[in-house]
Amino acid sequence: MAGMKTASGDYIDSSWELRVFVGEEDPEAESVTLRVTGESHIGGVLLKIVEQINRKQDWSDHAIWWEQKRQWLLQTHWTLDKYGILADARLFFGPQHRPVVLRLPNRRALRLRASFSQPLFQAVAAICRLLSIRHPEELSLLRAPEKKEKKKKEKEPEEELYDLSKVVLAGGVAPALFRGMPAHFSDSAQTEACYHMLSRPQPPPDPLLLQRLPRPSSLSDKTQLHSRWLDSSRCLMQQGIKAGDILWLRFKYYSFFDLDPKTDPVRLTQLYEQARWDLLLEEIDCTEEEMMVFAALQYHINKLSQSGEVGEPAGTDPGLDDLDAALSNLEVKLEGSAPTDVLDSLTTIPELKDHLRIFRIPRRPRKLTLKGYRQHWVVFKETTLSYYKSQDEAPGDPIQQLNLKGCEVVPDVNVSGQKFCIKLLVPSPEGMSEIYLRCQDEQQYARWMAGCRLASKGRTMADSSYTSEVQAILAFLSLQRTGGGGPGNHPQGPDASAEGLNPYGLVAPRFQRKFKAKQLIPRILEAQNVAQLSLAEAQLRFIQAWQSLPDFGISYVMVRFKGSRKDEILGIANNRLIRIDLAVGDVVKTWRFSNMRQWNVNWDIRQVAIEFDEHINVAFSCVSASCRIVHEYIGGYIFLSTRERARGEELDEDLFLQLTGGHEAF
Amino acid sequence: MGESSEDIDQMFSTLLGEMDLLTQSLGVDTLPPPDPNPPRAEFNYSVGFKDLNESLNALEDQDLDALMADLVADISEAEQRTIQAQKESLQNQHHSASLQASNFSGAASLGYGTNVAATGISQYEDDLPPPPADPVLDLPLPPPPPEPLSQEEEEAQAKADKIKLALEKLKEAKVKKLVIKVHMNDNSTKSLMVDERQLARDVLDNLFEKTHCDCNVDWCLYEIYPELQIERFFEDHENVVEVLSDWTRDTENKILFLEKEEKYAVFKNPQNFYLDNRGKKESKETNEKMNAKNKESLLEESFCGTSIIVPELEGALYLKEDGKKSWKRRYFLLRASGIYYVPKGKTKTSRDLACFIQFENVNIYYGTQHKMKYKAPTDYCFVLKHPQIQKESQYIKYLCCDDARTLNQWVMGIRIAKYGKTLYDNYQRAVAKAGLASRWTDLGTVNAAAPAQPSTGPKTGTTQPNGQIPQATHSVSAVLQEAQRHAETSKDKKPALRNHHDPAVPRAPHAPKSSLPPPPPVRRSSDTSGSPATPPKAKGTGGGGFPAPPDDFLPPPPPPPPLDDPELPPPPPDFMEPPPDFVPPPPPSYAGTAGSELPPPPPPPAPAPAPDSARPSPAVAKRPPVPPKRQENPGHPGGAGGGEQDFMSDLMKALQKKRGNVS
Repeated sequence: MAGMKTASGDYIDSSWELRVFVGEEDPEAESVTLRVTGESHIGGVLLKIVEQINRKQDWSDHAIWWEQKRQWLLQTHWTLDKYGILADARLFFGPQHRPVVLRLPNRRALRLRASFSQPLFQAVAAICRLLSIRHPEELSLLRAPEKKEKKKKEKEPEEELYDLSKVVLAGGVAPALFRGMPAHFSDSAQTEACYHMLSRPQPPPDPLLLQRLPRPSSLSDKTQLHSRWLDSSRCLMQQGIKAGDILWLRFKYYSFFDLDPKTDPVRLTQLYEQARWDLLLEEIDCTEEEMMVFAALQYHINKLSQSGEVGEPAGTDPGLDDLDAALSNLEVKLEGSAPTDVLDSLTTIPELKDHLRIFRIPRRPRKLTLKGYRQHWVVFKETTLSYYKSQDEAPGDPIQQLNLKGCEVVPDVNVSGQKFCIKLLVPSPEGMSEIYLRCQDEQQYARWMAGCRLASKGRTMADSSYTSEVQAILAFLSLQRTGGGGPGNHPQGPDASAEGLNPYGLVAPRFQRKFKAKQLIPRILEAQNVAQLSLAEAQLRFIQAWQSLPDFGISYVMVRFKGSRKDEILGIANNRLIRIDLAVGDVVKTWRFSNMRQWNVNWDIRQVAIEFDEHINVAFSCVSASCRIVHEYIGGYIFLSTRERARGEELDEDLFLQLTGGHEAF
Repeated sequence: MGESSEDIDQMFSTLLGEMDLLTQSLGVDTLPPPDPNPPRAEFNYSVGFKDLNESLNALEDQDLDALMADLVADISEAEQRTIQAQKESLQNQHHSASLQASNFSGAASLGYGTNVAATGISQYEDDLPPPPADPVLDLPLPPPPPEPLSQEEEEAQAKADKIKLALEKLKEAKVKKLVIKVHMNDNSTKSLMVDERQLARDVLDNLFEKTHCDCNVDWCLYEIYPELQIERFFEDHENVVEVLSDWTRDTENKILFLEKEEKYAVFKNPQNFYLDNRGKKESKETNEKMNAKNKESLLEESFCGTSIIVPELEGALYLKEDGKKSWKRRYFLLRASGIYYVPKGKTKTSRDLACFIQFENVNIYYGTQHKMKYKAPTDYCFVLKHPQIQKESQYIKYLCCDDARTLNQWVMGIRIAKYGKTLYDNYQRAVAKAGLASRWTDLGTVNAAAPAQPSTGPKTGTTQPNGQIPQATHSVSAVLQEAQRHAETSKDKKPALRNHHDPAVPRAPHAPKSSLPPPPPVRRSSDTSGSPATPPKAKGTGGGGFPAPPDDFLPPPPPPPPLDDPELPPPPPDFMEPPPDFVPPPPPSYAGTAGSELPPPPPPPAPAPAPDSARPSPAVAKRPPVPPKRQENPGHPGGAGGGEQDFMSDLMKALQKKRGNVS
């Protein structure tokens, strides 16, 4: 219709020429020129463009982007007039989905196609669906930090880039499982590897790298990260993201709903990775004791993931023991003959007997008796340790008998010095007896140590975990021999040894300075007995310990409260807002969301005003991040707190956008 | 019912042959059904069982031994005699020996009893890891109303039942038991038997029944160390025997049964613990204003997440220096991983903190009068020590707070850090219990409760708490109110009952028994009616003690579990009477060892069985013998099929358990 001409070639209708570039915002790109009128529908324009280009191609993902208005023209039934498009509009006809490089919580890079036209909230949901992470509302994207110029280029190691950009996910239904992974990952070896990267914990980072990475040195440093969150209610295109840009995918809201190790391998792993990096990069502080527990868990998780033992190790927990017992019982029943020897082997509790050197610290010491170690015949049965002057006297009364139940077991080991001691703090009514057992070699040490460990928990060596405990101890000793043997203050690279693991990769850099590796290893070893946990359990335990930290889940923003003359920190957590003194780091005041009546944002003066119960009013302007980010955090947490009741997988996107959006109007 | 009372005789006489038959006819598979559940318990049990299969004689011995032990502990002398006769007929050399042994142990326990004391009776304990309350799990199964069965089926059932009964006994007999003396808040004491499977919760439940208190959530078992002047409440999930086994023989420690509102204070007013840091004026305001809904959401937030939230707690406390009487003021912080302090010259940022103590190996106690004893700055002291330490030692840590509020916050905070969600579970169970109790008393008078309660009562074990939680949480306040009301009424009643009893039966022995039937009205009547009866028979059926009788008496067994006891007028009278009759007989054995001081030895044992049957897990194990019959019936007749089903259900249980652990 548009483009009727007279014989002389003059247009007689109100049509005009519209130029549309083909491609992604590249002014050099080819362009087509159409003849349109104000009444042309967008759909018709699209059709014309495709006709003009005259190329066979799937155009279904393409749409028109209006550069000046930073807007997609997605309503195909709207007319140009309705959109207000005139001839001077710069329009680009390009794909809505474009590749981006995602930096995952585990710090790996992954290329995939993300929607540039949907609100970020939906785009993230689609990404999470592709990665099979449930509850995408907890995640969001950040801009990558700007690279500093000074970095030497040659030092940048070529890192592996996983690619999922060719994978297309069928809409609607949840992807089915195939060969233990969502079906869309099983297409090729490449995508399969990608799934493994997503669902299995990464090995510990190179300690040197760890030292080089930027770490926040103050609260105000911690606010930097949060200025980079993208806006959930606008699309990537509107936020200036270009195809091929690097974006970070992170858990943004620290309110993890329904964390289920069974159904969520990717989510659990990525959460674990985020927690781990938080700790390693000191985004969240913890105490030394806590760090040792984290390190022990990382070590264990890494070991399991390297060995491919992703499933549950057999006989790990009491429940499995039950099952085993039930099964063995069944076997016995089926055999019918009920062989007694089977029973015997089940009933007899293994014992340890050996010559060990013992050093006992008298309960009332200070007599300066340095008698040192003495050789004894030691018998360890069930949870009781008895020692005799010699083997011959064993049938008689022991010199001492100690029930190790509830005792404290501390390794005192120096591998290079061939010192394998077990320190036992055995409780008795009068107090604790301190006693050292000195073993001859690693093997002996591992057996006795494992026995002591189990006994301290009231279990015997008949327990199914005994063997794995012995193995774990041996493995740790070998780690100490290889990994920790090096010079103390020069952490080795990851290639130090295949089985030896550098303990510096497991702790925050400040501990690298504080401890030598060989000091660190025993501490990690003794920190907690985690050898029996399965991969998922260990990850969950790690996440729980992370959640138990007092500073967990607080996002910091620098603000200036109304009426105050200095900048302060606002901490936003899943249930409260915290006003923190910038200089000292002390909590000044806490407000809980449960007492919140309403919050308002004045977009013009960039001020957030919040009203709590009892007419408490708070207002602040945002310094380090835009007030949109604060607004979105608050709204997001409010939104997440509504999930409990709804109990569904579907997201009420409107509600989310309602709670977090609203500023477009201005 | 009548049938079952006579059963005992028959059962034993035929036990051997029946088992033999059964095993042959049904195949080995059928036998396992009873034990499938808990690995350990089952294990022990099955050990005995297999022996039986292989050598019937051996099995029988064990069985009889077990029974004897049981009987000595729980059953009137009359019963013993019949059983003995039975045994003799069966020709067992063993039993006499075992009898002696068990008697002896019983006596020993009583002997210790002098001081509140607890002594272990170690019957068979050597071979058995304690069967954890698992037995309970099996029993509660679904009691489908017995369908009409063919004669053969019935016979098969009967056999299976008997075997099961015998096996239960076996299990039972191997359980270590302690007789403990519990000090009540009116300065009286009660003795009761605690077996090693019982948790503090179970013991509390027993005490609830014995005392007719209001059962509110504040009731607790409380241990006091006079020597160290420290005290604490048992957490409901703690194993009582385990705790007591840390006491020394000559200990002066005591167990009290009293109300402590501190026990679950955090769940009643979470805001006092979670929202109370700095700014005291404000916090007080909010305290009063916190409404039920906010409390609930605060609790949910703190205890129901992936990990629990430990209250933020920090402040200056006084620490007693090792071995000295001086106290040093330090700044302490509570974290989930332990208590930390700020070293000199450092800040209180996480990285600077020094670990003071971690909770894995210590319990927390209140210190009393430490101002006097240790020159503490105030009397608001708490103490951390390894449970096994009983004497003064450098390994005990003494801390002192400025005021009571701070003290309570620290103690509660430490308990939350140490026990985590378990604490909340305990609370919810306690609330359920309190609610049940109050409801029950309401109904009790009407006698209408039977159908509804059984389901909750007997299952206890693991299922009950879960099942009830939702209810409980929603209606907490209502329940509490109810409980409150109940408390008042029960208080009124109590004195009356006491008086009533005392004249009639001066000694404790009777009291426990009489208290069994909870509904006061019933009891009273029974008490007064007290005409000599012919208890032996009726009781005999019980085998396990009180629990059984109800079932026996009630032809429609499926519905009436433990709670029904009150409903059944018949039992009380019987029980009341028996004391005179049966007390004399047992003494002989006890008298020798126990000495004159303990005339009422038999009574203590008796109470124990009753509690068991009454409700919580371990108890159930005992009475089960009877119910199992009915339950088994449907499945069992099938023979192998039945066995398999049973096994499957056990597997399911194991799996569920496992899953529970994982999550």
